[in-house]
Amino acid sequence: MPRVVFHKNGQTFEDEVKDKTNLVVRAGIKQFPFPHLKYQCGMGKCATCACEVLAGAEQLPPPNWKEKKQLGDRLDAGWRLACQLWLEHDIELRQDDAAAPA
Amino acid sequence: MSALLSRDEFRTALENAIKGKSANKSPFSLAWAGGTLTREQLARWAENHYHYVGPFADYLGYVYARMPAQHVEAKDFLLANMYEEEIGGDRHTDLLIRFAEACGTTRERVIDEENMSPTTRALQAWCYAVAMREDPVVAVAGLVVGLESQVPSIYRKQTPTLREKYGFTDEEVEFFDLHIVSDEIHGERGYQIVLELANTPELQQRCLKICEVGAQMRLLYTTALYNDYVAVPSEQEEAVAA
Repeated sequence: MPRVVFHKNGQTFEDEVKDKTNLVVRAGIKQFPFPHLKYQCGMGKCATCACEVLAGAEQLPPPNWKEKKQLGDRLDAGWRLACQLWLEHDIELRQDDAAAPA
Repeated sequence: MSALLSRDEFRTALENAIKGKSANKSPFSLAWAGGTLTREQLARWAENHYHYVGPFADYLGYVYARMPAQHVEAKDFLLANMYEEEIGGDRHTDLLIRFAEACGTTRERVIDEENMSPTTRALQAWCYAVAMREDPVVAVAGLVVGLESQVPSIYRKQTPTLREKYGFTDEEVEFFDLHIVSDEIHGERGYQIVLELANTPELQQRCLKICEVGAQMRLLYTTALYNDYVAVPSEQEEAVAA
């Protein structure tokens, strides 16, 4: 089961999730990383759920067309859309309110 | 009279009520997954599907109005679900119409009620009846657990096929992509509400029954699509039958 480490505004939250878990779905059903993960549309349109991947990025599938469209150059800086990721490996993410892309 | 089921027992019973009648087993779904449908047949699917899912916020609106005020979480869930269907991001039906247009039909044809089959009309009418007449908790079980929660597993199978076998672009199949996330949330929240609020044996049994009927209705709908648009008898067969 993937272990998720989630940093938010200086605090760290950590839990195991089932294989192929989507963190926006988890937050939507009020489980970890709820209430810390900020998200809105769940469809790759608003980028509210954008997170900086601190570790485990190499295990993720390549960014899809929505991530390319929403994140642009930020992809190179390690940002991904949580709503578009189905986790199969350990990952460490950060989503600080101040740093979230518009 | 049945005893009150524990939360875990009730959850398993709800899942089993849906499982046997999953629309994944309909001939239309199987043909879709096998890549054997034509774009014309997919267009007919979109023209019908619009009239089933298009009023989903309407169905939930009736349930919302009748859900007792003290069930704040359930009411908020229904409201959020309606918002997401219509104005949270792209309107979901607009994405369905985008797919329909890629299949060769038009927005006008999709929204024209004359283009839905009698069975689609029956499914839509059943959804309205459940929303207006059933206990609101039973209605959530029927509409959200029985119908909406099935969607991610159906679209997870169908979406890669649309890209790989039918050659649609990412943007053309966005309707399917988005439901894998949104309906996973809606379905699971629906389960949570039903598990919490169906707190008598009688309510639990009614929820189980309506999930079973909802799954049957969806299976009936997709099977009819196959009969109406795929396994259409040839003129010669019709002449022999006459």
